[in-house]
Amino acid sequence: MSGPVRPGASDTVASLPKGLRCAVFFRSLGLQASWNHQRMQNLGLLVCLMPWLRGRERDPERDRLFCRRYYEFFNTNPYLAGYVIGGLLRLEREREGVGGLPRGQAQIFRDSLARALASLGDQLFWLGLRPMVALLGCALALAGQVWLVVALGLVVGAGQLVWRWRALGRGYAAGYDIVSLLGDPRWHRAIAGAKRAVRVLAGLSAGWLLRHAWEGSGQVGTTPWALLAVLVAALGLPVVVRRRWAGEFMVLATGVLALLLAFALGPKGS
Amino acid sequence: MTAIDMMGGFTGAHWALLGWLALLSGLLALDDTALGQTWLSQPLPAAAVAGLVCGHPLLGLAVGLPLQLALVMNLPVGQTVTGDASAGAVAAVGGAILAGKVPAALGGFHGLTEGAPRGDLALTGWLLLGAALWSLGGHPLIQAERRLHLIWMLQGRRTLRDGNLSRVERIHGRCLAATLVRGVLYGGVGVLAMAGLWVPAFEALPAGLRGAMAWVPVLASALGVGAVLERYGVGRHWRWVGAGAIAGWALGVLT
Repeated sequence: MSGPVRPGASDTVASLPKGLRCAVFFRSLGLQASWNHQRMQNLGLLVCLMPWLRGRERDPERDRLFCRRYYEFFNTNPYLAGYVIGGLLRLEREREGVGGLPRGQAQIFRDSLARALASLGDQLFWLGLRPMVALLGCALALAGQVWLVVALGLVVGAGQLVWRWRALGRGYAAGYDIVSLLGDPRWHRAIAGAKRAVRVLAGLSAGWLLRHAWEGSGQVGTTPWALLAVLVAALGLPVVVRRRWAGEFMVLATGVLALLLAFALGPKGS
Repeated sequence: MTAIDMMGGFTGAHWALLGWLALLSGLLALDDTALGQTWLSQPLPAAAVAGLVCGHPLLGLAVGLPLQLALVMNLPVGQTVTGDASAGAVAAVGGAILAGKVPAALGGFHGLTEGAPRGDLALTGWLLLGAALWSLGGHPLIQAERRLHLIWMLQGRRTLRDGNLSRVERIHGRCLAATLVRGVLYGGVGVLAMAGLWVPAFEALPAGLRGAMAWVPVLASALGVGAVLERYGVGRHWRWVGAGAIAGWALGVLT
């Protein structure tokens, strides 16, 4: 067993063969391709693990049992799935030649780790980094920097590929010790930092909108003060109402609101 | 002009552009849920890339920016998926450009429209409504595709009896192909629908109604940012939000 692993630390002794690591990595990018409502990512997980199985001599009975172990419910955050996949490959390798990994053992390891990483991933990626990058992109767009917006997309894409590649290696290097990774305080610091950045960037977008309401009121055919007041109300409305609608519904609702405002404030047309 | 009139006037270049946009939509559909999941399938980069494909990157930003701000809190946490925003973004940008219309940037005031033809913010609002509708229309398609995945996955259980690994890999590949095909078709039809129906419908709106559409990008963006503030809290964190707001005001002065 290797020592404790830390997110963001350099590669440990991981000894996943390069070819196998590449094959598993590329398949892991499509973990969610066959997502279904009953077993979610089960097929994706099995397909990710198959290069390991294919590197062994064919044994239909062993292959059948292997597929049974991983055809059950599986769901985790796709960006952190590498830890589970790497860990499972390590356990499979360790039990190779002694009857394979028992189904119950694989299930406990897979399910408990997947659940913990799903929760961590929701906080860090979906609620932290994703809105942060989206708002950062908006800030670049506000400055009219279209190439920087595309470059940001490419950098973020490349960064998450590197992250996923290293997660696979760390998961393999850690095996059962991967549990210690979950207790690392840096996860929580990263989550808090990302959420703080979201607040700053949301404030930035609000400030920019208000500033331009002052200058651009002619575009909507009203006075600067009226537009400023409407914008402040719109910014505050979700905070006061405390309801979360899907963005598409908000856009459609603004269509109705726009009509009311145009008639109330006297539209001049655009 | 009807959709059929418009398609009659299509040159080879128009059809080629439509093909590229459909392909882009397919790739973004893959990226959104199935393969990679980078940030490129979000509305802002999707619209910017669609604009680049059409040769008008700034017009892509004009639609993409308010759409991104409005949809920023659409988060795929757990099983939650709302709509097909990348298809909506590509359809809105591509449709406007194929129809020869120019949406204006939100605030359109400075940098964003520099070097681009003068646009119409009301058209941007109309396109946003179209993008939101098209995105919502993609939701049942995504759900149908997931039901198809379930059927295929259940067929794959035969491997648990005979140990045939290739069957499982083929099923997985089929799921990927289904996502790509859905994205290509839905995006392509979306561009055509926007160019042939939605944008011409804007021209037919009464002047008062058309003018009102200029409010949509402004309001949708403000509501989107408000939703972020609601989700992440303002009360205890007002210093961070306030610092950002001052920076945003300064950015507005500088740009």
